[in-house]
Amino acid sequence: MPEVKSIFREVLPKQGQLSMEDVPTMVLCKPKLLPLKSVTLEKLEKMQMEAQEAVKQQELTSKDQS
Amino acid sequence: MEVTMDPLFLAWSYFRRRKLQQCSDICTKILQDNPYDQAAWSLKTRALTEMVYIDEVEVDQEGIAEMMLDESSIAQVARPGTSLRLPGTSQGGGPTPAVRPMTQSGRPITGFVRPSTQSGRPGTMEQAIKTPRTASTARPVTSASGRFIRLGTASMLTNPEGPFINLSRLNLAKYSQKPNLSRTLFEYIFHHENDVKNVSVANLKHQKNLLALYCCFNKKLLFHHQALDLAAQATEHAQFKDWWWKVQLGKCYYRLGLYREAEKQFRSALNHQEMVDTYLYLAKVYQRLDQPITALNLFKQGLDHFPGEVTLLTGIARIHEEMNNIPSATEYYKDVLKQDNTHVEAIACIGSNHFYTDQPEIALRFYRRLLQMGVYNCQLYNNLGLCCFYAQQYDMTLSSFERAMTLVANDEEQADVWYNIGHVAVGIGDLTLAYQCFKLALAFNNDHAEAYNNLAVLELRKGRIEQSKAFLQTAASLAPHMYEPHFNLSILSEKVGDLQSSYTAAQKSEDAFPEHVDTQQVLKQLRQHFAVL
Repeated sequence: MPEVKSIFREVLPKQGQLSMEDVPTMVLCKPKLLPLKSVTLEKLEKMQMEAQEAVKQQELTSKDQS
Repeated sequence: MEVTMDPLFLAWSYFRRRKLQQCSDICTKILQDNPYDQAAWSLKTRALTEMVYIDEVEVDQEGIAEMMLDESSIAQVARPGTSLRLPGTSQGGGPTPAVRPMTQSGRPITGFVRPSTQSGRPGTMEQAIKTPRTASTARPVTSASGRFIRLGTASMLTNPEGPFINLSRLNLAKYSQKPNLSRTLFEYIFHHENDVKNVSVANLKHQKNLLALYCCFNKKLLFHHQALDLAAQATEHAQFKDWWWKVQLGKCYYRLGLYREAEKQFRSALNHQEMVDTYLYLAKVYQRLDQPITALNLFKQGLDHFPGEVTLLTGIARIHEEMNNIPSATEYYKDVLKQDNTHVEAIACIGSNHFYTDQPEIALRFYRRLLQMGVYNCQLYNNLGLCCFYAQQYDMTLSSFERAMTLVANDEEQADVWYNIGHVAVGIGDLTLAYQCFKLALAFNNDHAEAYNNLAVLELRKGRIEQSKAFLQTAASLAPHMYEPHFNLSILSEKVGDLQSSYTAAQKSEDAFPEHVDTQQVLKQLRQHFAVL
């Protein structure tokens, strides 16, 4: 944008000291790639889920009967 | 007249087509008519085994007891580079925690999880209990009480007439004489009933006493009885010349935690017959004994006999990865890909490595390859989304994340996806969206330390110091292994003038990440301050 340039001019000191301050800034945690799961792990999880479901089902039916 | 198929043949056909339930049903019928039909009996045991079969090489779950009460360790403090428990700072110039997130044990996160991917050995009991497991269950008290038992009991529960084989009434000596029945029976007891001890110990008398002791100490092991008995008797019957039975004995010993005995059996099996499996089991024993160098040598020995064997190469790569030597792990994963270019684990690990070494474009190619191969899950789409964003392919980013969202299986995954979307939002400068994303991540997983930390940074930008501090403290207590919350807390405390807590936080940050330059600077400044006082 040309009109902005006309308002603000770049100033570079030609003489004197140039000082710089390094202020520590807060850091964000990094983005997290999710690890893929191995076939064995997936099967284990599936079996565990199914087992839990089966147990729940049995408990429900036994409750209904009693 | 209708011609019916011979039921046994039909069952066999079902078995080959992996319709295991139907196969087992037919076998049950045959066995009702003729309880002594050995073919049907054997087939049914195989079908039931296949239903719950998991690759024994892959499964390795270390319980709290094994971890904390470890008798097999030789030195309390191992030399650097010789132990899996002391990952040390990366030796091979791998990525620092400044670019690659860490697991609790100080290892960079991997691109692939297996049941045995340990989040390392936690230093204290408290950490051990808190360590999240890969399959979102808590760490079992001992490995003998872990999944094996739970799956075993569940398989019994669903059988209304009780278990198929009543193990306590079985005459194992008789079965061990029949080689064609004993193997299927062994696998059934080992995998389905999870009853290791019967399958193998009996003939070695002194070991039996030892086992009895062990059982008193650990009630759970009582279940692990029968597999060991059977295997021992069968090896005896084969005059100690059958490598298969020796491997099975070794497997039983391994599950019982008798690693040295397991090692003997595997070694002896290797003398009879060189097998890839045996090498893998033996290496597993050495890894459990925390001797990664021995395991590496063993893998290399194995590679002399089986050049280019993918599983052995993968084993080497995994050990390098666990020892935090990412560059050589990547080299070996590349070797794996030369042999088998559809190896998911190798592709994923190389991909994540490229992502964290600032090459998201190349990582994107690896993950796209996975997509082409038919991997279709939440994790992959999430990774694709991140790679697209950092490789400046903005058109694909959000749609990938949307896919990932539709494929999530549980709340933890959903939290992670929201967390990563938060990063995208930070990247495009939409801080309101970022704030909402991190909040959502916390809503799905209340222990998401990274989200707490990032939220704290955003809160501070809004000028809410107290809120920010509270978040940072939560993050620091949830994940003491991360340096970010400590470092941020240090800066924040310094700003408000609380130099003492700033100093302690900076020290914690230094412990987590000694090479961090900013932490060093903060510490130096603080020391100067204190010296002036």
